[in-house]
Amino acid sequence: MTVQMKVESPTGINPMIRHRSGHIGSSLPRREDRSPLLGRRRYVADLKLPGMLEVAFVRSPEAHALIRSIDTGPALALPGVHAVYTAADLAEVGSFPHTIQYIRPVDQRPLAEDRVRYVGSPYAAVVAADRYTAEDAAALVSASTEFETLPAVAVLDQALAEDAPRLYDSWPDNRLVDFPAEKPEVTKAFEEADHTFTETYVSQRQTGLPLECRGVVAEDVDGQLTVWSSTQSPHIVRTTIAMMLGIPEPQVRVILPAMGGGFGAKTHQYPEDIVLAWIARKLGRPVRWIEDRFENLVSTVHARDQRHDVEVAYDDDGTIRAVRCAAYCDVGSGEIFMPGTATVFVTAGCITGGYDFPNMEVRPVCVVTNKTPSGAYRGFGTPEGMFVMERIIDRVARLTGADRVELRRRMILQEDQMPYIMHSGGKVDSGSHAKGFERAAALIEQSLARAKARYADDPDVRVGVGYNNYVEPTTPTYHLTTGHWAGYDSATIRVDPDGAVRVALGNTDLGQGAETTAAQLAAEALGVDPDDVTVVMGDTDRAPYGLGAWGSRGAVVMTGSVLMAADRVLVKAREIAAHMLEASSDDVVLADGGFHVAGSGTPKVSWAKVATAAWARTVDLPEGMEPGLEMSGYFEPPDLEHLPGADGKVNAAATWSNGAHAGVVSVRISTGEIRIEDYAVVHDCGTMINPMLIDGQVHGAVAQGIAGAMYEHFQYDPETAQPRFASFMEYLYPTCSEVPEMTVEHFETPAPEQPLGVKGCGEGGTIGPPAVITGAVSDALADLGVDITATPVTPAAVRRAIREAAARGAAS
Amino acid sequence: MTSDQGSREIDLTVTINGMEVRRRVPARLLLSDFIRDEVGLTGTHVGCEHGYCGACTVIADGDAIRSCSTLAVQVDGSDIRTVEDLASDGELTPMQQAFHENHAMQCGFCTAGFLMTLESVDPDDYREPEQVVELLSGNLCRCTGYQNIVKAVCSVWGVEGRRRDSQ
Repeated sequence: MTVQMKVESPTGINPMIRHRSGHIGSSLPRREDRSPLLGRRRYVADLKLPGMLEVAFVRSPEAHALIRSIDTGPALALPGVHAVYTAADLAEVGSFPHTIQYIRPVDQRPLAEDRVRYVGSPYAAVVAADRYTAEDAAALVSASTEFETLPAVAVLDQALAEDAPRLYDSWPDNRLVDFPAEKPEVTKAFEEADHTFTETYVSQRQTGLPLECRGVVAEDVDGQLTVWSSTQSPHIVRTTIAMMLGIPEPQVRVILPAMGGGFGAKTHQYPEDIVLAWIARKLGRPVRWIEDRFENLVSTVHARDQRHDVEVAYDDDGTIRAVRCAAYCDVGSGEIFMPGTATVFVTAGCITGGYDFPNMEVRPVCVVTNKTPSGAYRGFGTPEGMFVMERIIDRVARLTGADRVELRRRMILQEDQMPYIMHSGGKVDSGSHAKGFERAAALIEQSLARAKARYADDPDVRVGVGYNNYVEPTTPTYHLTTGHWAGYDSATIRVDPDGAVRVALGNTDLGQGAETTAAQLAAEALGVDPDDVTVVMGDTDRAPYGLGAWGSRGAVVMTGSVLMAADRVLVKAREIAAHMLEASSDDVVLADGGFHVAGSGTPKVSWAKVATAAWARTVDLPEGMEPGLEMSGYFEPPDLEHLPGADGKVNAAATWSNGAHAGVVSVRISTGEIRIEDYAVVHDCGTMINPMLIDGQVHGAVAQGIAGAMYEHFQYDPETAQPRFASFMEYLYPTCSEVPEMTVEHFETPAPEQPLGVKGCGEGGTIGPPAVITGAVSDALADLGVDITATPVTPAAVRRAIREAAARGAAS
Repeated sequence: MTSDQGSREIDLTVTINGMEVRRRVPARLLLSDFIRDEVGLTGTHVGCEHGYCGACTVIADGDAIRSCSTLAVQVDGSDIRTVEDLASDGELTPMQQAFHENHAMQCGFCTAGFLMTLESVDPDDYREPEQVVELLSGNLCRCTGYQNIVKAVCSVWGVEGRRRDSQ
């Protein structure tokens, strides 16, 4: 595959064109690996400071209740307990911000005041000499709290009912947001179409579940607060802490040490960050809180949990004329910043995936219930929408007798349609949608035939195939998520006197290999070896302000900001070198790690010599030049819109990756057991910086997608809203045995508007599996009348679907 | 009361990575907390605290155990090995090297547990890819989708890797 890169150098120097040294596109092994292999990587829980105390939170056992009284006496009497704090102690602390005008304000406090709205809601904090004592004391506080139980709302329909108990007394109902949509062209299509059908599709509640739980360490020394937190956005945490505690932002330093995975769950601003910072200042002692897995399951954000009520208009030949969809998202109690509302808007915007389908009308509705607040999880609304779209296509194929692959071929985006403006205003800038689908379908074809042959003699087993063609919006605006008017990130490059390069980034590393990637980018841009590049990130005092790692934005924003900073460094370095070479800077080029006059045999001026002049021998600088060799770049991606236009449309992502997934499953009718026989991914994230790391992102994301399609499910008691999970025994986290060997291939269609053509790849793999697995199971059981409409598709769900289809068949 | 139980202390002597460690510890102290907080070896990670995820796996007298669901006093007199004991003088073992080369790790939080599970077994007992997959299924990884971990292990143990469409 040839890659035609449009390389725009922000300052016009085009460093990548001048000296392409092959670092872009190289599967460079990661520099991040060595420390965890040796057991030396430092995560938050590994930090231990002199005099440090341990914090345990007291969390609500009630789904919905008023707090009548809290007696902290018994806990305080326990030897080793230093303090117990409740909301009353934190009265001076501000609330979490309310920045998005179109959603209802929740006024979330750092600790619940007089009312709790989900099991796991923190309402008190205990400080003790060690964690064991802190947990003992937390149990005593819990036992000494009087609640007045309120009626709980656990089910979407119940929350939407006219007479539903309300979570927020000042609201007229339980809708956090409701965006009615009506498109005249959709109404017209429904009037004209041959047929219609209605269906309800459900994506269950699950979450990211990094293996490292959250954790915070905070210390205040002479009014300078340092907070170590396992967060994807340290600068945003700094801003939030400073704002809520009412202290100047330069007095707060937030550090992300190594992170043990994030997957979106750690993008949010959590109460524990605020409370730990406040306690550290209050007590003048370092404090640490490490979330345990039970806390993690009930107090770190959940995600997905959408129900789509759809009406579909279609013609006899299989043409889908229009879809009308009410997209309900159960966001739990809503007590989280950033609010959990944004995902369903992404669902609404991206539901048509890789298909040319303008007549889509989606009404996003976010509903509060007495469950854990929901928010970001890898995929961020896209898997839910894609599942609905592919189920609709398969249903129409079944109703009309159209071929499922042929129907998709008729709808899929073609290269000559680029850029394609989606129904929502999303601008699909480029892609390999049609050829990706053909390739994925071809990859899986033989597997399908082999699987059919393998089970030909077993009447209890059926085989089927499923497909998905998705688009992955990356590098989105932060505005629709948090109300911040930004989508940029930053890099500062310093060339030290010895010529070694230091790159400091506002982006963070969650485990995806951002350090190695950044070193490759800087090495390419400055013509040095990646080993000579030191990368700094995750520290608000050492790195420039940035928004952090989320929205599959890292590759795009790092490329842009590193190139900008490198460009600016190069401009100055070249002037210094030209002065030393007694040449015009226009005649000086960078090659083989040094500067020399183009086309001449002049001796090379090394980076070390240039940098030494800049920092330590300013007598060697051109007359009047300012010393130093450090430059920053703040890259705001082009093409990104922050707010919808008058027509309600918005391109909320800077660029759009795409992919085609196809999978073959076998289903055992008697038990409902599903086995993934083969899974193929044809992926396109534009120019690849490190293909090995991109494959790793795809593997991991597909595994999480399979988890959502088949296993993971946060279930609540429908009457009491009590969680029916407390550990990995109930919440099924896939192991090596559940994740199949998969084939991953790539096309590289560069983003036309982004530096180097990079598009981003973190989330795409999660999008396909729910659509593919449910499509394949439905195909396998088609002659039994089964059409799966909900995830996860467990053995029990398969058996139920078979029984229900049989009952329908008997009735008709 | 819980606090009374918490205050009972017991003398403990263990060998950790070849060094003898003597401590008086609370009877209820978990082995994982002992290793991490008392001895200061933080390469052993705690992912679930209920013995499911395997991140805390260490080797006690040759057997892989879950240190988060073992009391420190249960290993009195034992020989314990942790991830810090694998490489000598910073030189990676073939398995560590294979994890690096095959990109069999992302955030690195689960890696120590996988390495200790692998260190505790005899590779001759794992000649088929399905056996390797079964062995690895005792440890959770959220980042990699396991594919490159299987690949790394098979490369070191000389097992023909998993094939597509043959599981």
